Amino acid sequence: MSDRITVEELAELMKKSAGITVASDDLQRQYDIGFDALGIDSLGLLGIVGELENRYGTPMPPDAERSKTPRQFLDQVNSALLAGA
Amino acid sequence: MTEPHPRRAAVTGIGVIAPNGASTESFWKSTQEGLSALGPVTREGCEHLPLRVAGEVREFEPSAAVEERYLVQTDRFTHFALAATDLALEDARLGQADTGEAPYSVGVVTAAGSGGGEFGQRELQRLWGKGSRFVGPYQSIAWFYAASTGQVSIRRGFKGPCSVVASDEAGGLDALAHAARAVRRGTDVIVAGATEAPLAPYSVVCQLGYEELSTCDDPERAYRPFTQGACGFVPAEGGAMFVVEAESAARERGARVRATLAGHAATFTGASRWELSREGLVEAIRAALADAGCAPEEIDVVFADALGVPEADRAEALAIADALGAHGRRVPVTAPKTGIGRGYGAAPVLDSAAAVLAMEHGLIPPTPHVVDVCHDLDLVTGRARPAELRTALVLSRGLMGSNSALVLRHGATGAS
Repeated sequence: MSDRITVEELAELMKKSAGITVASDDLQRQYDIGFDALGIDSLGLLGIVGELENRYGTPMPPDAERSKTPRQFLDQVNSALLAGA
Repeated sequence: MTEPHPRRAAVTGIGVIAPNGASTESFWKSTQEGLSALGPVTREGCEHLPLRVAGEVREFEPSAAVEERYLVQTDRFTHFALAATDLALEDARLGQADTGEAPYSVGVVTAAGSGGGEFGQRELQRLWGKGSRFVGPYQSIAWFYAASTGQVSIRRGFKGPCSVVASDEAGGLDALAHAARAVRRGTDVIVAGATEAPLAPYSVVCQLGYEELSTCDDPERAYRPFTQGACGFVPAEGGAMFVVEAESAARERGARVRATLAGHAATFTGASRWELSREGLVEAIRAALADAGCAPEEIDVVFADALGVPEADRAEALAIADALGAHGRRVPVTAPKTGIGRGYGAAPVLDSAAAVLAMEHGLIPPTPHVVDVCHDLDLVTGRARPAELRTALVLSRGLMGSNSALVLRHGATGAS
């Protein structure tokens, strides 16, 4: 497990927690597309946050689940992981 | 007779996922042939439980019918509802393009008796096995009775009036009646019905307390209503969804009117008070006939509730005679659910689907496993009976005391 969450891990979590399949390079290309356009609702994002908190054993910032795009989300969770390191 | 409802509610689409067939066509084929789908309970975690026989849906692959994003957030009972809705809309020839043009004109009504037990059990096991942080957020919606109505409306983009009926097994008929009322009030289309998935370990354990549940281990003998061998009922999963719309609008768009929902009434006589269900059913039947503007003699076939408990069977046989008079002893009665089990709220919707198909084919399906009837009823057993059928009466009772009656008219009969 790396110390920062990669786009690959986000893609894996999107499939596991929200049932949305997007290849990680596609996700990279759609960094600023809305989660809603990807088909991920607020509960889906909440599930991804919960899964990350369990994996990394650290709370994620409250704003993470309010992120609108993959870029915002990764910025949020990775800055929290960096700060916790 | 004067027409009681100027804006008649027509059934233009039917979608069935049942233990004896995961499509409307295969359901009807098995039903009219009197094939039984009852068998041992094979669901993981249920093997050691005292419920031995059930009607499991085995020919349904959720991932082939429903997108993964909906599968991860829903229970099996909702998978059935989503898939049955697709079948019903396809049957009604209402595509995304049609409903997408006027999303507020399409609503959803479902009934559910047990909610999402399998999903709920999995998440509760995480809660007590690993801790609250391991419970997925979709637990907040997936187990709930209302989940199927919500997910059907979200997935198909329907924004019209939506509701959920929680009134026991009889709720399946009440949901169809609610749809008819919504259509009469002006909504163009309602997708209505009920699906259930009560065969997960947690759900089965919840049912073990019902003294009406059959724990017989022989699929041939476990569910034989109206006989001396009646020893309770066998539960089932699956269900059906109907497309209900205004008959005039349906005919205008060239849709096939398969039947009309002509009349309905419901009563309540208390949990497991089967002797009292006689008067409850009588009142429901009389009021449903009045609602339909239908004379007792016009009923060509009765789809019985057929609980399989001697006292309840007697009450139902007497109720049919009380409500229909002399005609009650002559009218053919059938209970095809003895071949698939009782799917709680879904059971009377499957009966309604069978009633529509019976009217279309001029064929009363038989009552599997039932041979020697010990009540004064003309119960159709052995093989299907050909008959000209214009009007069908469907009866349903719930373990908690609801009674309901629905009058369906053959689609061609209603042509004006």
